[in-house]
Amino acid sequence: MDVGRHPNIRLLAYSEVEKVEGELGDFKVTVRKKARYVDESKCTGCGACAEKCPTAISDEYNLGLANAKAIYRYFAQGIPSTYTINTNFCRNFQAGKKCGVCAKVCQAGAIDYKQQDQVLEVEAGAVILATGYELFDARRIPEYGYGRLPNVVTALEFERFLSASGPTHGHVYRPTDLALKESLPELEKSRQKAFKALEKFEKQFEKTSDEFYPLYEAGELKGEDYEKWAEQVRAFRDLDGEVQARKEKVASLESAHRLAFIQCVGSRDIRFNRYCSGFCCMHAIKEAIIAREHDPQAQVYIIGMDIRAVGKGFEEYRNRGAKESHIEYVRSRVAEITEDKDHSPVIWYEDTKERVVKSLPVDLVILSTACEPSPATRILADIIGLEVNDFGFYATDPSQPLDTSRPGIFVCGCAQSPMDIPESVAQASSAAARAAQVLSGSGTLRLAS
Amino acid sequence: MTGDTVTRKEISVVNRDVLVIGGGIAGIQASLDLAEMGIKVHLVERLPSIGGKMSQLDKTFPTNDCAL
Ligand SMILES: Cc1cc2nc3c(=O)[nH]c(=O)nc-3n(C[C@H](O)[C@H](O)[C@H](O)COP(=O)(O)OP(=O)(O)OC[C@H]3O[C@@H](n4cnc5c(N)ncnc54)[C@H](O)[C@@H]3O)c2cc1C
Ligand code: SF4
Ligand code: SF4
Repeated sequence: MDVGRHPNIRLLAYSEVEKVEGELGDFKVTVRKKARYVDESKCTGCGACAEKCPTAISDEYNLGLANAKAIYRYFAQGIPSTYTINTNFCRNFQAGKKCGVCAKVCQAGAIDYKQQDQVLEVEAGAVILATGYELFDARRIPEYGYGRLPNVVTALEFERFLSASGPTHGHVYRPTDLALKESLPELEKSRQKAFKALEKFEKQFEKTSDEFYPLYEAGELKGEDYEKWAEQVRAFRDLDGEVQARKEKVASLESAHRLAFIQCVGSRDIRFNRYCSGFCCMHAIKEAIIAREHDPQAQVYIIGMDIRAVGKGFEEYRNRGAKESHIEYVRSRVAEITEDKDHSPVIWYEDTKERVVKSLPVDLVILSTACEPSPATRILADIIGLEVNDFGFYATDPSQPLDTSRPGIFVCGCAQSPMDIPESVAQASSAAARAAQVLSGSGTLRLAS
Repeated sequence: MTGDTVTRKEISVVNRDVLVIGGGIAGIQASLDLAEMGIKVHLVERLPSIGGKMSQLDKTFPTNDCAL
């Protein structure tokens, strides 16, 4: 991506549009460049600050599946690579707390806790909206259990699981198994503490705990101190047993083999969005193929009303998924997801071919959630004075699909409607050409009514 | 064409820059195209880095190439 370096592109990241005045050929736009508390011109992106920052926070880029620090970079290859302080968590910004560690370790002297938002005036002849989409919140379908059943995740979360640079380094472990793994160091720490306490007694009474305990049990050693020691011995043995058991369990953990994708979660559903989100059938197939590449034992089901493989080579992709990756496509609309022992999800659905209700136990459920207009769409529409359509995307006319209701303001990508990357790219190139055309004084325009 | 009047309106172009709002794949592509045409672009992104949803994807269909 040479966007960060192109001489004709001025990148205003971590910024928001506040006002759009004027008209085609002469817009005046107010942009708020939010304070990062890190000087963009000095920060080298070395990461020394984050390494030493004592404040761990949830990593937004990894959808909360990993941790970041209060001073963070959105993602490793992010452009710009400047770090940013999250003032909701940074200790320096909490009443009654102090820190300043990052300013001390930053060799570049880039940290500036007093940095202010900058309000800029940008002049432009045309505007292109490419604000994209948000994903449907699967909690709105309680019968699917997202947020309640730990081994039900979204397709975007699953992308992070599949990614080599993601929280599980490309291995598909169930969230409950990961939690078990992550709980081990804490448990071992408690065990170590209990062990230290035993050592104290052993020193004091010049006996090992193993020598002491049988004598105590036989009633040969009495007194408050011995009782305390005995209690400590029992506590240690319990913890030790638990550590061993959990270690064995963790060692025997396997990645999730039985995976099921549930399609149209929030799409083609009169309760939420009537439209088809377009790309989810394809990304389910893609994720299934990759999961199978990572784990030849994987058995993947894709459960939906139909597979909409509309695009060049997409039907072949679907068939390749079945043939080479042994994806099983199940025609149904899932009714409910419940849980079995060990937090294994069970999918309840009607097999529409056999006309019977069936259940399918799996290791992990992946929800293909709908593409929705982001809340920012509405806010920007109000700021700029634009119409949105019934679904909440920027309204366009079928005869001029790049033009919004205000002349000189164009739209592309998922801000206009759900579409995949190739379509977004094609529409973006069209929008760029359209803006250039209009600014050169040619091309027809629909007059604002 | 729909019922709206379609005209070649005389517009006075005071400024030929383009403002792109949103730095996902669509905003990036639009910006690069315009920049290559010699048009100055201001690209506004809400998050600390550009890339949008695509930056969170492992690989992309239908080629299964890496997203980044
Ligand atoms: C799980 C999953 C897997 C997918 N896999 C594939 C795939 O393999 N192949 C494929 O072709 N498609 C895939 N897609 C679809 C793909 O994500 C979209 O087609 C693509 O991201 C659309 O790009 P966009 O630029 O329109 O929107 P986005 O990626 O949403 O980018 C919008 C950008 O605008 C910014 N923004 C939003 N509001 C504002 C504001 N008010 N001011 C400034 N900036 C703002 C956002 O921060 C973001 O950076 C997948 C989608 C999902 C959910
Ligand atoms: S703020 Fe300083 S320490 Fe942190 S990444 Fe930038 S240059 Fe490195
Ligand atoms: S001041 Fe301290 S808590 Fe805040 S970002 Fe810097 S190191 Fe982290």
